[in-house]
Amino acid sequence: MIRLSGRMRSALIIGGQGIRARKLRTALSMVSIFLGVLAVVVVQAGAEIVRQAALADLELQLGKDGTVQMYFPPTEKGAAAVLETLRGRGDALAQMSTSAIIGEPNTQPVNPGGAPFNDSAQGPAWATEGGGAVSMACDDQGFCRPIDVGPDTGAPRGAAIQLELRVLTGDVRRFIPYQVEAGRWLDFTGSPSMSPRIVVNREAAEGLARHRVPAELHVEGTTANPTPQIVGVVDDGNGQPTAYVWSEDLFNWLPGPAEQAEWVRGSMQVMLAPTAGEVERVLRARLVSAGVADNSVQTHVINVRKNIAEQLKLLRLVFLGLAALVLLIGVAGILNVGLATVGERVEEFALRRAVGTPRTLLAGIVLAETLLTGLFTAALAIGLSAAALRIGVTLLHRPEPFLQNIVFPWQAAVAGVVAGLVAGLLGGLIPAVRAARIPIATVMRA
Amino acid sequence: MTLIELDGITKTLKGQQKPRTILDGVDLTVESGQSVAILGRSGSGKSTLLSVIGLFDRADGGRYLLEGRDITRLPERRAAALRSASFGFVFQRFFLLKHLTAAQNVAMALVNGQGWLPRRRRRAKVMAALEQVQIAHLAKQRPAKLSGGEQQRVAIARALVRDPRVLLADEPTGALDTETGNLVIDALLAATERGCGLILVTHDRDHAAKMARVVRLTDGVLAPVLPEPAAPTVPALPVVHS
Repeated sequence: MIRLSGRMRSALIIGGQGIRARKLRTALSMVSIFLGVLAVVVVQAGAEIVRQAALADLELQLGKDGTVQMYFPPTEKGAAAVLETLRGRGDALAQMSTSAIIGEPNTQPVNPGGAPFNDSAQGPAWATEGGGAVSMACDDQGFCRPIDVGPDTGAPRGAAIQLELRVLTGDVRRFIPYQVEAGRWLDFTGSPSMSPRIVVNREAAEGLARHRVPAELHVEGTTANPTPQIVGVVDDGNGQPTAYVWSEDLFNWLPGPAEQAEWVRGSMQVMLAPTAGEVERVLRARLVSAGVADNSVQTHVINVRKNIAEQLKLLRLVFLGLAALVLLIGVAGILNVGLATVGERVEEFALRRAVGTPRTLLAGIVLAETLLTGLFTAALAIGLSAAALRIGVTLLHRPEPFLQNIVFPWQAAVAGVVAGLVAGLLGGLIPAVRAARIPIATVMRA
Repeated sequence: MTLIELDGITKTLKGQQKPRTILDGVDLTVESGQSVAILGRSGSGKSTLLSVIGLFDRADGGRYLLEGRDITRLPERRAAALRSASFGFVFQRFFLLKHLTAAQNVAMALVNGQGWLPRRRRRAKVMAALEQVQIAHLAKQRPAKLSGGEQQRVAIARALVRDPRVLLADEPTGALDTETGNLVIDALLAATERGCGLILVTHDRDHAAKMARVVRLTDGVLAPVLPEPAAPTVPALPVVHS
């Protein structure tokens, strides 16, 4: 417990008595600084919520701060070296992406190219130079983009969905904060399963819920089509249907290490924890010995927070400046009320000096009153903002899913308290100096 | 034991016109438990003298000893501490804070930044002080609910609550009727029985006569007031009935 000095306790007690005795004036002072404090709280809360939303979005796309991403030219030997080095590691992983189809074999999936299921008006496909085909897919909002639908095999449409399959050598959630929404996440510690366990993202889950498809997983290069086990649903921020699988589960269906390496080399992404410096060195050495040029192995450290903070800095400063201006106008109000109050309390202050109250305590009493007023105002503004946010989240939560996890940011509460205290300090400073200068002989002349 | 010793205290007011000497070499000694009344015309400097004694104001010259310690040139911070520890003040106007109860008004002298008393001990001291002036039953009343005499007794309790060495009273009965004034003077004199010195500035000769010593401030100098000679007694004449 904080032990306050006798002088500070005295200031708080007398200040509290003063506030109780002049409720109307206190209320007027609160009104004068309320808008300013509220503006600071709202700006800070808004900036923090935007930052959190942007951070969550970018972390899902890029990874958590400090994550090291490693890039190197795709070679078969290099990929094999990476798979061998990272097998069974928790602090580093390799992620490979490929296209997969769940459902009836040898048919055209309901979403060719792994397009989102909400996309509509898929236009006719046109051929590309590589012999593939591209179609335009548009979502609910009318945004259209080209989707690679692969070569036109002339297969009939069947009960199958196409998705992006991400093959992981370890737990990617250490690096990218995917939220498990149903079921469970992949287990990377037990024995591999002949029936690959997969976790699908929201979009894939929606497709599977909408279309009844047989449990048959077709991945290019595998010896047969295994039966997948869908163990969970995850929010990965990806609008395209995606599934995640442990590499050990899938590699059972690839003929041998050479085929595995050939299969993964084109799409390998390596992520390392900030503490995995040793792994990074070993990996680099093995890549070099596998024939990859040392200077072509590049690393990049994710620094999302700093980037977002820099992007939002100017905007936040502009709005905080405006809020500070409103607060300053409020300070003028509290100053005015404070001066009038001290003028009325000349005899009280002179009497307090007569009974031994030091000048500093007299100033402290006035400051305690204005600071407490500032704190009450801050509490009111914070409470109101938090309540408004809660109501807003409840009302808007359906159309804006990102609001679901938003809570009132503590930074806004701190900013509100600081704004209240600063307003109280600025508004109370001159009245406090006046109170301390009241001549003691006032009581003798009265 | 000598409580207060003033030796040649001078004070000149430097107003907008020419400087005016208010105290011109005041000598005064007050013993422990002694009561002293100061008489004088309005504007004679009685209150100024009390201000100097109570460390509200500083003397221009002379020497001021409190219990043998020279406090003539005390810095404000130490003067405030000494006011709190050694002096109790009672004014003509009671200066009670109307938003506080009687007990809170008395406690005001304890919550003054000069040391800290826990709430329980503070309350005990406040009730003891109110008991001393026989108004403990009014502790929770606000000043507006109290009579003039009761208010002044609350003010006396406020002056006594820190067990001062000296009680300074500046015309404490000026706003009261004779009977209530007598009660207030009795309450002040009761404090002297516990060894507290009392300096009373008054216009009232009857109240002054109750003090152990009476002095008059004239032209900035204190002089003792001699007791008035008793009026000659006239023998009663026999009643003659026709």
